[in-house]
Amino acid sequence: MDAVIELEGLRKEYRRLRGSRTVAVDGLDLSVPSGGVFGFLGPNGAGKTTTIRCLLGLVRPTGGRCRLLGHEPADLHRVIGRIGSIVESPTMYPRFTGRRNLELLARIDGIGRSRVREVLEQVSLADRADDLVKTYSLGMKQRLGIAAALLKDPELLILDEPANGLDPAGIVEVRELMRRLGRDGRTVFVSSHILSEVQQTAERVAILARGRTVATGPVHEVLTAGHAAGLVVRLDDVAGGLRALAESGIAARSDDGVIRVDLPPADAARVTRTLADRGLYLSELRPDEADLETVFLELTGDAPKETG
Amino acid sequence: MTNLLASEFRRFRSRRLVKVLLLLEIVAIAVAGVIVYLTQEYELSSFPDVLKGSSLVLLSVAWMLGASAIGAEWHAGHVTTILTWEPRRGRVMAAKIVASLTSVFVLSLAVQAVLGIALAIDAAGRGSTAGVDASWLSEAAAVALRVALLSSIFAGFGFALASVGRNTAVALGVGFGYLVIVENLVRGLRPQWTPWLLTDNAGLFVVGSQTDVPLLGRTVAGAGLYLAAVAVALLLGASGTFRARDVT
Repeated sequence: MDAVIELEGLRKEYRRLRGSRTVAVDGLDLSVPSGGVFGFLGPNGAGKTTTIRCLLGLVRPTGGRCRLLGHEPADLHRVIGRIGSIVESPTMYPRFTGRRNLELLARIDGIGRSRVREVLEQVSLADRADDLVKTYSLGMKQRLGIAAALLKDPELLILDEPANGLDPAGIVEVRELMRRLGRDGRTVFVSSHILSEVQQTAERVAILARGRTVATGPVHEVLTAGHAAGLVVRLDDVAGGLRALAESGIAARSDDGVIRVDLPPADAARVTRTLADRGLYLSELRPDEADLETVFLELTGDAPKETG
Repeated sequence: MTNLLASEFRRFRSRRLVKVLLLLEIVAIAVAGVIVYLTQEYELSSFPDVLKGSSLVLLSVAWMLGASAIGAEWHAGHVTTILTWEPRRGRVMAAKIVASLTSVFVLSLAVQAVLGIALAIDAAGRGSTAGVDASWLSEAAAVALRVALLSSIFAGFGFALASVGRNTAVALGVGFGYLVIVENLVRGLRPQWTPWLLTDNAGLFVVGSQTDVPLLGRTVAGAGLYLAAVAVALLLGASGTFRARDVT
């Protein structure tokens, strides 16, 4: 699988006026494969936006390398026509209409007005396209930014916190849009601190903390990172179930009305057989998978850890 | 580059500040035209002098427009957006400079033309058009052209300062401080440095006669070239800074 984004030991320091230095990105390694949605997660100040700015040639890395579609930032102009992006909040001219803002950008790349109409419809802004941007809500401005990013019909979309300011309906729309773009074979690289959003849209994620990658890989692998593989069993007689499992030498514990079993999901049949043999019938059996939020909080507070 | 340039021209002429300042200038010209019409019998032959006298307003507006062309972009964060479309900063800067300076040149000529029309109406109605001949036209056109060129140069000063300071106000503040305070101090304390002062050279270039500004020991074209060289140097410095600094 070709990598569309490659970072090797990327480092960015900002010098402050009094000579002190702030390390925003500290030796970041990352490889983003082509196609699908890739979530770039991290708490505020983790270095997500700085990384994106390095990728887009807006800031110069202090060290390391970054490549976008196989090109270093110095050669970015060769591929910029294949990349759509939003960096932080999209900035548009408030006293121009949404359509005029897009037309101004489209003009840079010789993109026609029909494409402007298409993207406005794609982000559900067609009916407000001729209103001034200053009358837009935050969510509409965000959607206009996404429309601008889509203008070039890009194969790689870099979206920095695209759900910022969106209402629940807007979040769902953006989520669907990202999924659709990912399914179409494009790569959507989306940074976010809204973990549930990424969990629902991304196939792969990287978690960033203090300027470093602390976990990267397919979402399901990252979710089990640092957690003993286990099973969750729900049944009426929790005490009886625990006894039955203990008698069979299976480690288990009661937790909030369910039984957590220390066996990998592949051994689920052993659990059902053990319980059924004692006349205990379970009502639910599923892998004990932490949600991304739990993993995120664990990882961003811990030492670096590689998975997948 | 053509597309980028076309986009920058469109961006410049869409700016509210451009429209507001242009409107204010036209309203001021109309009011002045009415006042002149009502109070005196205007002689159109003095039009070149009117152009010279009103150049200060045009140059101030040009400085402001040049500064705002990049300062407002920095302030609002549009520079980031543009660089995600055209990452070659040299091209972005060149397109912005060409669009701003050319637009200011055209606007300056247009405003002077409107002023000329207003005063021609006055002269035709109540005043006199005596002395309006080919040499008058040639002189008026030369003054208008020099004022327009100087407007572009002053827009370049404003642009360069706003680009380095990443803010329109920086360019206006530094411009005011330098032209009004520093140059006056230099003129008083170090008169031998006068040939290098922007205001004196600008005065010579607008007036168009060495005999009226003898202190400089420089030709009219020399004054224009000196001012252009300063503008180019400032713009090159601003471009270098733009290429070197992070866009955060």
